[in-house]
Amino acid sequence: MNDQASRSADWETLMRAANRGDSAAYARLLREIAPVIRGIVRARGARLGPEGCEDVVQEVLLAVHLKRHTWREEAPLRPWLYAVTRHKVVDAFRARGHRVELPVEDMAEVLAAPEGPDPLLARDMEKVIGRLEPRAAEIVRAIGLNGESAAETGARLDMTEGAVRVALHRALKTIARLRERMIE
Amino acid sequence: MRTDEFISALAADTTPGPRPERRLALGLAPALLAALAMLLVFWGPRADLAAALTGASLAKTLAPLAVAASALWLAAELCRPEAAPRRQRAALTGLGAVAAAVFGVALWQGGAAALATEMGRSSLWTCLRSVPALALVPLGAVVWALRAGAPARPVRAGAVAGLAAGGFGAAVYSLYCDQDALLFFLPAYAAGIGLVALAGAVLGARLLRW
Repeated sequence: MNDQASRSADWETLMRAANRGDSAAYARLLREIAPVIRGIVRARGARLGPEGCEDVVQEVLLAVHLKRHTWREEAPLRPWLYAVTRHKVVDAFRARGHRVELPVEDMAEVLAAPEGPDPLLARDMEKVIGRLEPRAAEIVRAIGLNGESAAETGARLDMTEGAVRVALHRALKTIARLRERMIE
Repeated sequence: MRTDEFISALAADTTPGPRPERRLALGLAPALLAALAMLLVFWGPRADLAAALTGASLAKTLAPLAVAASALWLAAELCRPEAAPRRQRAALTGLGAVAAAVFGVALWQGGAAALATEMGRSSLWTCLRSVPALALVPLGAVVWALRAGAPARPVRAGAVAGLAAGGFGAAVYSLYCDQDALLFFLPAYAAGIGLVALAGAVLGARLLRW
């Protein structure tokens, strides 16, 4: 309990730092959150298979990212995180024709699960990125896969760093919208 | 793309997203002005507006405004996915209870015949068309604001947005409507607001998912 409490306190601090523009803190937070989300998804996601599960994990992370301003900074982070996870997991299951019971009260007990080594997971996300405009997909892949910074990508594509960031933001919003349409 | 790589992309996106409160602050006032303008152009104010606003029929404007404010308070809280808005829900339910009680007293005093007379007026249909029409732009503004949020139940959030917009629509409509009888305007305005809530629920199902 104490261990979880101190880890939770770290998460609030990290998210507050992230909301103030600290990318390193934000990346660390997302890397600590992902295994917890993966554990929750896998706990009910046997039908999805490992690829489907990783897809849902990435969808949850995208929702966490796009809706992070709905977290009130005085409140603990986990309830908010569990609520976001639950919402996206239920949607993802419904899109695949399954109903799932996912009470938030059970989420605290789930074991965190690290990412596996298989690079073929999360195929739906790959498909959606492929449907972006070429430049947008290029930016997402350059920053994600190749670990380029926005400045480096900008230099390579003859764009300003600011323009790259805006393009990245729009690309992520488009990805979320395309994933929504896949559900409909 | 591996999740670790996807996280790198997410972490590099420092552009802040839209906030519901900010959108509401930006959009609500213009939306209300638009509704008022619509009323002036297409309906025109009631002839005795000054007298009405300083008399008992001011309640016809204030009561829907109270509903709208209470619904907005609830809607703002519903933007958080883990929200458990007990106080906000209680306030809105309380307003409904007060309205029901007032209606009950008026019915007891006036009798069923009086209610039938009031509900038989043609102005009932004007009301049921006009309140939703006037609520349209405010509904757009509130739904636009809620799209920046993360409501756990989009249909419920849409219905609450509809209650807020309906309250504003009814309040604006009250500046034209000259039927001051409680037995008329309580059920008529409630029905008009209810229609907007229904429309909001339908919109919520499509537009408030995330």
